[in-house]
Amino acid sequence: MIISTNWLADYVAHGLSADDLSERLTMCGLEVESVDQIGNDLEGVVVGEVLTAEKHPDADRLSVCTVNVGASEPLNIVCGAPNVAAGQKVAIATIGTVLHLPSRDNPDERVPVQMKKAKIRGQESHGMICAEDELGLGDDHDGIMVLDADTEIGLSFSDYLTRQGIPTTDNAIDIAITPNRPDAISHLGIARDIAALTGAPVTPPQVLIPESGGAVAQRMSVAIEADDACHRFVGIMVEGVTIGESPSWMKSRLQAIGLRPRNNVVDITNYVMYECGQPLHGYDADTLAGGRIIVRKTKGESTFVTLDSKERTLPDATLMICDGDREVGIAGIMGGENTEVSEKTTNVFIEAAWFDPSTIRRTAKALSLQTDASYRFERGVDAEGQAWAAKRAADLMVELAGGTIVDGMIDIHPVPYVAPVISLRAKRVTDIVGAHIEPSEMARLLEAIGFGVSQTGESPVTWDITVPSFRPDVEREIDVVEEVARLFGFDNILEPTHSRVPNFTPGIKGDRQLRERLRDLLQGSGFRETCTNSMLPIATADAFNAPALPGGRFGGESVQTLNPITTEMAALRPSLLPGLLKVMGHNQNHGQAALRLFEFGRVHTKRKTNLSLVGDYTEVESLILAASGEWMAQGWYGEARPTDLHDVKGVVDLVLSGCGLSDIRYSESSADGPGAWGLDVMIGKRWIGSILRIDDEVSKAYDLRDAAFIAELDFTALCDLATAGLRVRFTPVSRFPVVQRDIAVVVDASQAAGPMISTIRQSGQPLLQDVQVFDLYEGEHVGAGNKSIAFGLRLGADRTLRDKDVDKVVSRILSALDAEFGAKLRG
Amino acid sequence: MGEQTSSVAEAALAALVHLKEDIEGALLDTAEGINEYRIRHLSRKQGQITALLKRIPDVAPEDRKRFGLEINAAKDRVEARIEEATAAITGAGTASAASVDLTLPGRTQAQGSLHPITQARRLITRVFENYGFDVAEGPEIEDDWHNFSALNFPPDHPARDMQDTFFIEEPGTEHDGILLRTHTSPVQIRIMEEAMKEGEPPIRVIVPGRVYRNEAISYKSYCLFHQVEGLYVDEGVTMADLKQILHAFARTMFGEDVRMRFRPSFFPFTEPSAEVDIWWKDEDLPGGGRWMEILGCGMVDPNVLEGVGIDSEKYTGYAFGMGIERIAMLRYGIEDIRTLYENDVRFLEQFS
Repeated sequence: MIISTNWLADYVAHGLSADDLSERLTMCGLEVESVDQIGNDLEGVVVGEVLTAEKHPDADRLSVCTVNVGASEPLNIVCGAPNVAAGQKVAIATIGTVLHLPSRDNPDERVPVQMKKAKIRGQESHGMICAEDELGLGDDHDGIMVLDADTEIGLSFSDYLTRQGIPTTDNAIDIAITPNRPDAISHLGIARDIAALTGAPVTPPQVLIPESGGAVAQRMSVAIEADDACHRFVGIMVEGVTIGESPSWMKSRLQAIGLRPRNNVVDITNYVMYECGQPLHGYDADTLAGGRIIVRKTKGESTFVTLDSKERTLPDATLMICDGDREVGIAGIMGGENTEVSEKTTNVFIEAAWFDPSTIRRTAKALSLQTDASYRFERGVDAEGQAWAAKRAADLMVELAGGTIVDGMIDIHPVPYVAPVISLRAKRVTDIVGAHIEPSEMARLLEAIGFGVSQTGESPVTWDITVPSFRPDVEREIDVVEEVARLFGFDNILEPTHSRVPNFTPGIKGDRQLRERLRDLLQGSGFRETCTNSMLPIATADAFNAPALPGGRFGGESVQTLNPITTEMAALRPSLLPGLLKVMGHNQNHGQAALRLFEFGRVHTKRKTNLSLVGDYTEVESLILAASGEWMAQGWYGEARPTDLHDVKGVVDLVLSGCGLSDIRYSESSADGPGAWGLDVMIGKRWIGSILRIDDEVSKAYDLRDAAFIAELDFTALCDLATAGLRVRFTPVSRFPVVQRDIAVVVDASQAAGPMISTIRQSGQPLLQDVQVFDLYEGEHVGAGNKSIAFGLRLGADRTLRDKDVDKVVSRILSALDAEFGAKLRG
Repeated sequence: MGEQTSSVAEAALAALVHLKEDIEGALLDTAEGINEYRIRHLSRKQGQITALLKRIPDVAPEDRKRFGLEINAAKDRVEARIEEATAAITGAGTASAASVDLTLPGRTQAQGSLHPITQARRLITRVFENYGFDVAEGPEIEDDWHNFSALNFPPDHPARDMQDTFFIEEPGTEHDGILLRTHTSPVQIRIMEEAMKEGEPPIRVIVPGRVYRNEAISYKSYCLFHQVEGLYVDEGVTMADLKQILHAFARTMFGEDVRMRFRPSFFPFTEPSAEVDIWWKDEDLPGGGRWMEILGCGMVDPNVLEGVGIDSEKYTGYAFGMGIERIAMLRYGIEDIRTLYENDVRFLEQFS
């Protein structure tokens, strides 16, 4: 909400600059988002008298004027206004003056323009005769501003305005109002807080509230048929008003807070709402059928035309204001077109009511219609403020629209307001705040913002706190504690010099430890970590909801949101792969060909499993590795080499051993997915992920230039398995040397190495410690259709091995390889 | 035959004596010299010692042992000299450095990096771990109860509008509302529920995690971001304690001389509530800088404590929550939040 500092000064003489005021407001919980200075001091603008005004010889719409500004010679000024005439007192912007004129491109924006001597169609012009909008006083650009005839020539225009009660400058302070401060959505509400902080008194306008009843009650009757939603309805009638423009001071105040002035009656209802926070509605009293107002709820769906000429569809049980025949307004939101104040209106019926906040909130939401009125009713207006506001508006209508108040006031009040009384303990305040505040200071702070304070206990100190009617948000002791704390000032709470740490053992969760360890490991292996969006188009989520990937493994459906921002983000990712493919495509199109990336992130699927925490959804963490382009770049030391599946497989080995896992098994992937081919990664019999060579069609769709290889692992499952592996147990290091033996065998060229390694491991027990493949060869030396595989064997034991021990193992291995694979020792 | 074999041995031994001059005396100060020396003596085809070894079968059996020992000793000697000389010229760049181009660049190693959000999160969590906070996590798909109701959000709070929250199932249906969590605060509830199964407070924990907001994407907002939530519930916890821990945090993140302020604010689940700003120096601004909001915090609302069965008269607590992106953007001078999720390598490599 925007407040004007000039306006605020009517109610509290705070003596603060705009910046200091903003600081104090912010630090008491009314956060100032911006301060805009409005208008300028109009230096160089003076009062002048038009001596002559002749038609421009070469331009029909221009006049050539001579103007006396009190100088020795009159000024020659070319003026384009139709209403300029000799004898007028006018505001002259002299040469050098800077005015903030509406921009040509955007009339709502103002740009500084300096007055210069000019020739306009051959005629010299030494300044400008100003219209209201050029002086920042309004939107009026129909003609120049004509001043009172008795104004002295040569007077500075800002002095003229000051005499008229119009300050030339103002500050618009935009305040973010939190939901717990319905009392602060008005100038008087803000003034109350400022008064409490500065000690200056609040000075609201004097309003004499009439007795309920009187002549008005003869002319209008009000009935509330929904007293759950309308606790009070106050009506005052003003007759004989003349609809017209509001005076400048009111217009400039409304403009300062961002409202567009309309006519005096409508402006007054808005003005009073921004003054005290109570929304008002003015009806053309002569259009209210039967002199009746009924507050009731609709039955079934219906339509209604609001005063902005839009037809609204009302849901069942919408709270409406009705006259004898029909509906005339949506309660607390917007009046109807049928009874609105128009240029012809002479009699005005002013409504000031209290509506139930949640009723108004529901309706405003259902209609997608938020107004200044609904904004205030939703948060809760002052339960006791209706009569004051209605009479204040009526007084202003008498003053500014020439009406007279019909005697008396209608005040229908089916649910009387009862002020809540809350018990407060001084100790509770210090227990929460942690600062020493004297009980007398607590009482003073609360009284300053209108709370009733009545002491009920001495030792310990307790009070009964009566909550003022404009603070519906205060319901509990803690709410009162907050008021004390906020006015005491959070910055006045001293920090303790020591930190208390409870005596308990902070656990270090295995999964977090593991995740951070793998991050370091992968970074060290040349992988860059990414962070991609969890939300995807539904089609993408479905395409990657594949059994070869961690989310799709569960066999559920993709998870969709009911209200996506765009179709591009309508589902949750079942896999990190689409995100990484997008990143790889982006980078390969921006000159980064060689990519090694990884990411940790949650993936989702709609399927109830033993992992489900919420509803029928399963959420697991995934770890993806992705590589594309060159694995090794060309250098002086060697040739470039493109990434292949075994590069990624090697990193997967590193990751799994980093988790302390052994019994790693790979088998050819059979599951459907975006891979052309690949491997399932298993720990023992448990599937934990896939290594895939991405299908070319998929790569093409993501604009990849090189083949992509990825591994996506179910990190949640890994953590589950790794728990034991994380606890490292020391094994004594053998004092005895190991023996290295190399064997090369010839097998059929189609024979895979994996099963041979398994056979070597089995038959090499117990001496065999490790086996590596160190060479592959196909060619003339081994015969067509054959290949040679060379294995490096590492053997050892808790004793020095003799040659014959080693020979025995090697020959056992060789005969096993021969028996199973027909492998012959290479000669 | 004996004559023959004996003469073979003698001739060979004589040749060996002759060879020894070169074996001991050859100058071995270049790689080429060493290589030629190896070929001259040991190569399979041209090596003179190799040739002598091939003649062993021709030597008379009684002489063979002596003959073999002699030749093998010579062979060992050659190998030892080659080893010695090679070590001398490849050793720490002394006289023979000329043969190695030390100015060639090192062999390139692929460089990795951690995402700036990870780096900022690590910094943040480390500060609180140093102050004895546990670290916990919770689900991203959350129910309405944990995300809103248990946190004292009234049923018609604006945050519950479809405009702000991604719903997966509507409230009032089978699971009474399932959504993407809008903050990490629901994990507070899960932690307190869990703690109360086993006993009582103290609870002292931080919760990092991904959260979602149904907001239009722009340079300053994205549909998701990351938060770190903090919670401390114990006897005698006050706002003064809250100020202290957050000040310690701000000093670590933004420097010992950081200026910070606590502004009263409003959150449904804390009372009193505050927002914390730090003074961000910027010489280009009129006041030499401006206040930047970095986090929200407050004293845990008694309704929240009672809702999970904690006696709010005996225990008090504080809670705080901050956006990791915001901290990262401030620290690294990133202006557009979308840069963080684009993952351009030219961006990522700056965080190596």
